[in-house]
Amino acid sequence: MRTEPGRQGGRTGRPEAGRWGRFLSGFKRIVGMPDYPGYLEHMAERHPGCAVLSEREFFEAQVNARYGNGASRCC
Amino acid sequence: MNRILWVLVSLVGAAAWGVIALNRGETISAAWLVLAAVGTYLVGYRFYSRFLANRVFGLDGRATPAERLNNGRDYCPTTRWVLFGHHFAAIAGAGPLVGPVLAAQFGWLPGTIWIVFGVVLGGAVQDFVILFGSMRRDGKSLGQMAKDEIGPITGLFAMIAILAIMIILLAVLALVVTNALKDSPWGIFSILCTIPIALGMGLWMRIIRPGKTIEATVVGVILLVVALVGGRYVALSPTLAPLFTHGGLTIAWGLMIYGFIASVLPVWLLLAPRDYLSTFMKIGTIVLLAVGILIVRPPLQMPALTRFIDGTGPVFAGKLFPFAFITIACGAISGFHALVSSGTTPKMIRRESDAPLIGYGGMLTESFVAIMALCAACALDPGVYFSINAPLGALGGTVVSAAEQIRQWGFTVTPEQLTALARSVGEASLLGRVGGAPSLAVGMAHIFSGAFGASLMGLWYHFAIMFEALFILTTLDAGTRVGRFMLQEFLAHVWAPLGRTSWYPSNLLASGLVTAAWGYFLVQGVLDPLGGINSLWPLFGISNQLLAAVALCVGTTLIIKAGKVRYAWVTLLPLAWLLAVTLTAGWQKIFAADPRLGFLAHARATAGRLAEGNLDPAIGARLIWNDRVDAALAGIFMVVVVALVIASVREWLLVIQGRKPATVKETPFVESAYAN
Repeated sequence: MRTEPGRQGGRTGRPEAGRWGRFLSGFKRIVGMPDYPGYLEHMAERHPGCAVLSEREFFEAQVNARYGNGASRCC
Repeated sequence: MNRILWVLVSLVGAAAWGVIALNRGETISAAWLVLAAVGTYLVGYRFYSRFLANRVFGLDGRATPAERLNNGRDYCPTTRWVLFGHHFAAIAGAGPLVGPVLAAQFGWLPGTIWIVFGVVLGGAVQDFVILFGSMRRDGKSLGQMAKDEIGPITGLFAMIAILAIMIILLAVLALVVTNALKDSPWGIFSILCTIPIALGMGLWMRIIRPGKTIEATVVGVILLVVALVGGRYVALSPTLAPLFTHGGLTIAWGLMIYGFIASVLPVWLLLAPRDYLSTFMKIGTIVLLAVGILIVRPPLQMPALTRFIDGTGPVFAGKLFPFAFITIACGAISGFHALVSSGTTPKMIRRESDAPLIGYGGMLTESFVAIMALCAACALDPGVYFSINAPLGALGGTVVSAAEQIRQWGFTVTPEQLTALARSVGEASLLGRVGGAPSLAVGMAHIFSGAFGASLMGLWYHFAIMFEALFILTTLDAGTRVGRFMLQEFLAHVWAPLGRTSWYPSNLLASGLVTAAWGYFLVQGVLDPLGGINSLWPLFGISNQLLAAVALCVGTTLIIKAGKVRYAWVTLLPLAWLLAVTLTAGWQKIFAADPRLGFLAHARATAGRLAEGNLDPAIGARLIWNDRVDAALAGIFMVVVVALVIASVREWLLVIQGRKPATVKETPFVESAYAN
């Protein structure tokens, strides 16, 4: 059987985050807000042992990446 | 079972079109338009998007950039429905709300047909092909793809097109806000309040409770509602109301100052919180509007076709062809989407098989928003619609003169009706509030108060105005920034330090230049005796369709180079239609003999009035200069589009004749770990 990273946790399935946590995570991504719990999970899953950004550093980095060179948006 | 369901969907859609076709001359319910549109969307999505995905693009089980380059940030596999929401929020703005409202002067039928069939065969195809191309190239932008696949000149044209469309877009959106807010203390107060609310949210999210975006946004939305209710007391107060009552020119300058300052502030302070607020409001209001239309099912008061298809319409000049198809860009086909489809979205797709829902389905949803805006405008009494959307110059300054003029156009409305309507929404007057937003707000207020309580008409009206102004102001900020970065890229060729985006003097200079550019067109629109929308909205439509032509040329190139010439019609068909529309409209805007339509004819007419001594020489000289600038701009758009098509066709012929290898510059195939 093939593995399905998305189904077992990761940022997409996230069974351990609970229904409310998944809803918040989805909401944040729709609006384009930084999703810190999702980031922590990604780091734990893909890069265990690496240093992670603090919530504030992550927020700044994400906001700058999204809006720093002009958000692509529509009429 | 499945097959029965699809037969049913098709039958319901066809039946709704049947009702529309057979009930000409009688008033029908807006619900039929919604039903016909949704039925067509579903059939288009189920069959045409699948045809595009499987046959034309050949989507397969390969890993997406999000899977291969996953960094937990911009490249990040995202569940399809979440990404669908994200993509939709990024593509839908003021465009699909304003265009259909303006085009309602032709009646509800032309707009409906163009929005529904334009999207299924054109707009959604464009979004999908660009999303597909970018997804196969690690999320490259439209400009880069144009450069890689067609040639460097095309890349340059694409850049110029993007910068030009940005300037016109910002000017016309700022004009929409100006017309909605002029002499409206309630509106100005509540919109001004959004600035400190957003600043407070920004400080909260960055300094007081870092990263807590949701709580800041919830508090922000509550404060917005407080500001909305507070606006009513400001408007009623004899001491406060004059402080917040301003004419068009003052508001225009205010918007320019706002746009300039906002675009040089740090993004976390104003832009990001504003964007969260406006996205939240956008999704909420659109859902509310859909529910409202379904509950109220308003009858369409506007005729299916009006006499103004002959080109004499007061909202904007020009015949049904090509101007209905220029006026409604967003909602049917919008070149701007190509920038989003080759921006953040392709980096977040989890599996290739999710792409049809996001690329094709996202655009169908925007088209649905356009249909709802059309319903809201056409549910208004036509007399009321024209009293709001015709320029003051045509209506005269009083409700009596307006009612008389509207009677001459063949619709009935009494002066008392107009006064009562303005009073019910808490405004001194709604006459000549061109730009679409106010009449849409009246239509939405009708629907909302019909569905959720009739006593709150004024509140609903200002809620709708705030909702539109909120995201238009966000666009002014973000758009000025995008323009600034592009300009800095150009300026770097003149003097290298000007290209440094971290150098404050360079930022100030570039932001100032971009603001001055859109501000020029904005002031021109405010002073225009024909109302401004008449000249600026067609220019915006032409530039947006021009960008769509760029995107479709790139799409056609991708298909031909993938060795699928036999399927190239999927993009060539909408491209041919767009070229016919854009070039005809551009030509007419420049050379038509009617001074309301042609820029040069208007300049000549103004010169004539000057010579007769009927016009202040300073104003006259300015009007003539503006006309010539507009004509030159339309000319540049036409030249760019023709040059681009020639370059693309040359490339296609080289590939088809075998003189150039039919290979695409895709990232190599990697098997996906996700089950497809």
